[in-house]
Amino acid sequence: MNRWQRRQLTDYMAKALGTAATLFGLFWLAWILWTTVSLGLPALKWTLFTQTTPPPGADGGLANAFAGSIFMCGLAVLIGTPIGIGAGTYLSEYARHTKFGKSIRFVNDILLSAPSIIIGLFVYELMVRPMGHFSAWAGSVALAFIVLPVVVRTTDEMLQLVPTTMRESALALGVPQWKVIRQVLYRAALSGIVTGILLALARISGETAPVLFTALNNQYWASSLNEPTANVPVVIFQYALSPYEFWHALAWAGAFVVTMLVLVLGVTSRWLISRGKEQS
Amino acid sequence: MANFARQRTIMNDETLDPLSITARRAASGVLDAPAKITAQKLNFYYGESRALTDVNLVVKEKRVTALIGPSGCGKSTLLRVFNRMYAIYPKLRAEGEVLLDGENVLDARYPINRLRTKVGMVFQKPVPFPMSIYDNVAYALRHYERLTRGQLDERVEGALKSAALWAEVKDKLEHSALGLSGGQQQRLCVARAVALKPEVLLLDEPTSALDPISTARIEQLIDDLKVDYTVLIVTHNMQQAARVSEFTGFMFLGELIEFGVTSDLFTRPNNRKTEDYITGRFG
Repeated sequence: MNRWQRRQLTDYMAKALGTAATLFGLFWLAWILWTTVSLGLPALKWTLFTQTTPPPGADGGLANAFAGSIFMCGLAVLIGTPIGIGAGTYLSEYARHTKFGKSIRFVNDILLSAPSIIIGLFVYELMVRPMGHFSAWAGSVALAFIVLPVVVRTTDEMLQLVPTTMRESALALGVPQWKVIRQVLYRAALSGIVTGILLALARISGETAPVLFTALNNQYWASSLNEPTANVPVVIFQYALSPYEFWHALAWAGAFVVTMLVLVLGVTSRWLISRGKEQS
Repeated sequence: MANFARQRTIMNDETLDPLSITARRAASGVLDAPAKITAQKLNFYYGESRALTDVNLVVKEKRVTALIGPSGCGKSTLLRVFNRMYAIYPKLRAEGEVLLDGENVLDARYPINRLRTKVGMVFQKPVPFPMSIYDNVAYALRHYERLTRGQLDERVEGALKSAALWAEVKDKLEHSALGLSGGQQQRLCVARAVALKPEVLLLDEPTSALDPISTARIEQLIDDLKVDYTVLIVTHNMQQAARVSEFTGFMFLGELIEFGVTSDLFTRPNNRKTEDYITGRFG
């Protein structure tokens, strides 16, 4: 074997190993998706969205769980987004190269990768114990803690990507910095910031641990935000562990809907990113 | 005469013969004008390192003054002192005096945003804001002045006209400014700066990112602008300095080596370094 052939062989092996690793990863992903679709799709019925979670042996759907999840995720985004954008703006525009800014960024990254069960426990101590009961409020706050670092990080990074020359051009017109940030920089970074919010939403829509400790679950409609509230992940968790076939089917249907939602959010954010790139 | 001959080799175009330009300018009294900006004993520091050393400079009102010199000589730094652009970064500081109409603008009590409305700036790379053409020009006006829609329209039109862009964009004012060509974008940046009716315009290599035709348009524009504005331009291009300016300063290693009437500086430089630079021996 001469040197050229050896190189050819090395190249071939590297390619083969890389392809194999990719296929290995994709294989499991495809399997997960396939299981979700094949078990979830048949269980998908109109009553899923109109009836509440059933007791064993009865017919029912997941309407209360969907409503609870939508409400808590929505409120979490409403709480987490303004604070996150504010903090991300501070990091990028006012504290970019300072030690203080760097340490906040570091702490935020820790929060970003904090196990969500710890966030659940924290909010349990913070709200559930003092209030004496589980509630949709507590669930929303716990999810907001997961939204927050994601939005901080993306806002910070997207603003840092805005060219310095744009900042200078706007400041050179004598417009104060806060107005430049609000009117020029946010506009330039808009698609990236929205993408961050969508990704955060995708992430919390499947989070189980934080809501398990805070909103718990409810077989019926919650009559106020101060009550334990049904939500999709905890219902899936509970039903999947049960011995009843019908509950299993409902759990798969719920998993299917959440997976599709995450998929749609992911594709939308991809599309937003590519659109943002075309514009600038 | 030796210098002159050498100069002719740089400036091949007969119509740009600097001596005839000087003669014309001197005859029309164009070289007499009151001082608009006066820098005195100006020193500038990036942290510990000194970027400008004892710069003394007089920029005359409603004239074009060019700053030339090799990369890193401090000409952009000097320009960015005049509107205190450097102040947005930590650890940069200027010492000495820069008088604008007799007031020291380096004084912390001089309001920075008032300074920037009086001293407009156009940068090397055109950066339109991500909004419509109209909104780009109206942006600072909306912040500073309470104008009716009609008055605002008028000011935007005026600014686009003085930037020689009106004819090209008048039918698509609501379109995104990001769709304009590079040369149009740069003229939009000029329009954005002149919309506020500043007194001084700082141009930081405004044509270095543009094609020759766009460059010619900007140069023509500079000639028109000096009727109303004091223009200070930094350029890498010596021919450009010779074409557009009445006065030129040559900078080297943070010092203003030589300053004078443009045609004099290009044909009879007093300093050896100036001569070496304009004849292309370095830089």
